[in-house]
Amino acid sequence: MNIEFIDIVQALIDGILYGSTYALIGLGFTLIFGAMEKLNMAYAASSIGGAYVGLGVSVLLSLPLYAIFLIGPIGGGLLSVLVYICCFRYLPSNNHLAALMASIGGLFFIDEIISHETDGSPLDFPELGIFSEAYFEIEFSDMFLGFRGDLIFVMFASFLAMLMLMYLLYRTRLGLATRAVSQQPIAAQLCGISIHQTNSVTFILAGVLGGIAGCLAAASVGVISPLLVLPLTVKGLVVTVIGGLGSIRGAIIAGLLVGGLESVFLLLRGVNERDIYVFLLLFVFLVFRPNGFFGAEIDRD
Amino acid sequence: MNKFIKGLAVSALAFSMSAGVALAEKTVLISGWGAQSGPLKSFGINSETILKAAVDKINADGGVKLKDGSMAKMVYEYYDSRCNAEEGIALARKTATTTNTLIAIGPTCSGVAAASFGVFQKKVDDAGDTGLQMPLFTNTAVRNGLAKISQWTFRNTPNEPDMYDKLFAWIAKTRPELKTVYGGTETDQGHSAGTYRIVIIPAAVRHGFEWSEGPIEGVTGKIGEGADNVQKASSNWLMADTSFSVQARAFKKSKADIFVISSHPFTTCGILKELARQKASPKLIVGLTSSSSAEVMKGCPKQAEGMIIPTSFAPVTPEAKAVADVAAANGASADLHSAAAWENVMIIKDVMETVGVSANGENLQADRRAIRDGLEALKTTAGLIGTVTRNQEEGEALKPYVFVHAKGGNWEVLHDPR
Amino acid sequence: MDYYLGVFQTIGVHTLLGLSAYILLLTGQVSMAQIGFFAIGAYSSGVLTVIFSWNIYPALAFGALLASFFAFLVGFPALRVKGLMLVIATIAFSEIVRLITFNFVWMVEKDGIMVGAEGAQGFREIRYFTTNGWDSSQVVLLIWIFVAIVMAMLWWLDRVKAGAVLRAVGNDELAAQSSGINLTTVKVAAMTAGGFIAGLGGGLYAHAVSYVDHITFTILMATFAISYPILGGTKNVFGTLLAVIFIQGILIEAFRFLEDWRLIIFGLLIILVMNFMPDGLVSIFKKSNPGKGN
Repeated sequence: MNIEFIDIVQALIDGILYGSTYALIGLGFTLIFGAMEKLNMAYAASSIGGAYVGLGVSVLLSLPLYAIFLIGPIGGGLLSVLVYICCFRYLPSNNHLAALMASIGGLFFIDEIISHETDGSPLDFPELGIFSEAYFEIEFSDMFLGFRGDLIFVMFASFLAMLMLMYLLYRTRLGLATRAVSQQPIAAQLCGISIHQTNSVTFILAGVLGGIAGCLAAASVGVISPLLVLPLTVKGLVVTVIGGLGSIRGAIIAGLLVGGLESVFLLLRGVNERDIYVFLLLFVFLVFRPNGFFGAEIDRD
Repeated sequence: MNKFIKGLAVSALAFSMSAGVALAEKTVLISGWGAQSGPLKSFGINSETILKAAVDKINADGGVKLKDGSMAKMVYEYYDSRCNAEEGIALARKTATTTNTLIAIGPTCSGVAAASFGVFQKKVDDAGDTGLQMPLFTNTAVRNGLAKISQWTFRNTPNEPDMYDKLFAWIAKTRPELKTVYGGTETDQGHSAGTYRIVIIPAAVRHGFEWSEGPIEGVTGKIGEGADNVQKASSNWLMADTSFSVQARAFKKSKADIFVISSHPFTTCGILKELARQKASPKLIVGLTSSSSAEVMKGCPKQAEGMIIPTSFAPVTPEAKAVADVAAANGASADLHSAAAWENVMIIKDVMETVGVSANGENLQADRRAIRDGLEALKTTAGLIGTVTRNQEEGEALKPYVFVHAKGGNWEVLHDPR
Repeated sequence: MDYYLGVFQTIGVHTLLGLSAYILLLTGQVSMAQIGFFAIGAYSSGVLTVIFSWNIYPALAFGALLASFFAFLVGFPALRVKGLMLVIATIAFSEIVRLITFNFVWMVEKDGIMVGAEGAQGFREIRYFTTNGWDSSQVVLLIWIFVAIVMAMLWWLDRVKAGAVLRAVGNDELAAQSSGINLTTVKVAAMTAGGFIAGLGGGLYAHAVSYVDHITFTILMATFAISYPILGGTKNVFGTLLAVIFIQGILIEAFRFLEDWRLIIFGLLIILVMNFMPDGLVSIFKKSNPGKGN
């Protein structure tokens, strides 16, 4: 295929739109890291798990399809708080390794339960109704640029999630507590803030967000499979680092950036090399700009 | 949970047997392994279900006739190899050296097959080669050209070069208005990518279809020629990919009459859905053999509508229908991979009776050798949908096939050349 | 018999992989790059014995040296990132290596057939052992001699000053630095040594298994590599061995009848061990269990 400039623009648009699912997952990673300085490796698994819960409950109770998008986030929140209790709550707070390892255990556990329950077979996931049918085309000197309606919806959803999170963190008492716990855990405790309660709330929040992300990602693919978990985990981590661990704005921007670049690499260099460049980019960021785009917004002493 | 309890019961039973309870019955043991955990577990589950049904059938009919004329029951053990090469090898060694397994069936993943075939003795009677000496008869792993790795390994898997050759010949004849072809594959899976590059596209070229962007350098229509260029000229994806926008656009832009999608079910559905979203409408879609399974019909029945796939299994004969029904009754599905387990078990029974084996692993090594030689001597075998010709130079099969297409959420037979 | 020997081969190879992560853990570095080094060792020694018909020993040595050279190179940028960021940076490294093996094609014709690495189709027929008449017990012996040497060296290391230096860096970098320890030297040395051990393990793996492809070297295996020393604990080298025997020997082999429950239980076990024994399995053998912090 000979590649013209418009193809690159189109690939960039496709990728940036798809990157909004990465951005949503990245948000959850960064939220938990910001609160606890720990990586929750089970996060993408609990997010996809949430989408499965939504699909399962809706099908079993024969609820209307949109119910998935309500039950999915609830499932995500529950799974996430379960991960908190099993993999973080009772572990020594200074032992980052143990928490990392335990959450990897959580990742295996959730992933394999999904495979077990579905026999590993991909399942049809409802698409986003009218949004998925919407497909916009802009004429551009007798070429067309296309935009997927459902992904535009996902993008708006991720911006909305970002704004809500920022509001929660910077304008509410809950946010104040979260920031206090993350910056000065001991002082916060002295002020009567319960660390575990605050962390649980952070995990629920991240989990609900993850459930939304899981549902939207599955809906935009139209198929759900346990195969989604590992790539989303890796992409989520990449996005979190490039955006700056703990940075909410950063996660969104990095999500869109990674999505866009990935898509252009795919167009220009083919799928076999695509991810090499994504990881090289990550490596470069880690070495030359370890704080990502925005460093840590929630500073820590 | 059932399996868990069954497993506990089996091990308790094994323990009590080893604790000295003598076996009253004569048995011949076959073993099998395949992926029964992880995302590809359906392959192992389907295979085991059908293997069990076949063994049950044989035992219901009286069992296997031994060398001394008495009858023995056929028993089987099935293991989970997790689609992991190390485990596949461990299982090959386990069954060959710690059990009375006369012949094994497996594995399901081509990567595991490529690895575990390598630990078998390459040539029989080569005393300098310390590889395992137990016959292995594969039903699922289908990647091109594996069985010739060892003279102890055989396969009863579809012959893709032949099937795609006939498929494109048939399309050229029945749909003369179709001229051009474009496609893509899942490059990180040996089977889908290999078949695409080496088999499918050359077959299309051989029967006069043109690559939509002009001829691909080096592709003459001969199997395997210009394979690397085929992959470069196509729009590909990886097995766990979720976004297909760029690839689908390339498909659409190609304006080809025929789209070839050589991919396993998950990504087949992904690309089909994206093609539908972008309203790319080819006149025909050709899929990979492995996608003619229930998974695609669960994942994207609407978008797959009309996709044509050659397959070596469809419920077109009473025998095939019976196997499909017994699989469905046990919560599994019979497809071109798993249904071969039935044929394998039946072939094994016939070979055992022809060469004459002893029960309970007496004369184990001699019997294994006899079964191997017996298998190699077969020119044809009875298959579920017709006679299978064997190519014993390579240990492979030439199976009858039909062309199926997706219709109304099911795979229906479109053309039956048998 | 062959089967048990095969299990011993697997345990030996995985022990090397685990020990390569162990030495880095001593310096406080959690490295997911070990599987990348393992892959480099596997592919390079495989190319040498298959394509260039080298003897196994120089091929293994070359594989290990090449892996340690890459580890040395990775060591420097890795200095700049710490803790969880290092986990992610090393994931990136391992994935890059994996993707290169995925694109790596080097085939030559030998005795009428094409041998060598063929991209996604994998690298088949690394049959040095079987074609040279080694039986399984000899292969096991070879692997375990290497395991014993590496374990002895690491054990000895812990008894001399160098070991104390490694652990000092692991415990508190600042304190170590202020007492005159050169962080760069220590960390890069640990990374290089870890790369060597992983490369050796990779070479042995490729020849024991006879086939490698990029799917062997995914993040899953990298996770196994670090989970051995973390589950086993970093008190001494036997923790890693214990964890490998526990996972590969008992959970995967002996519990085969559990089918796919094995992996579910694997996940649960990691969670349980981390909750009740955050210092790893070796803490069972200690008389007094140190109280959990916090």
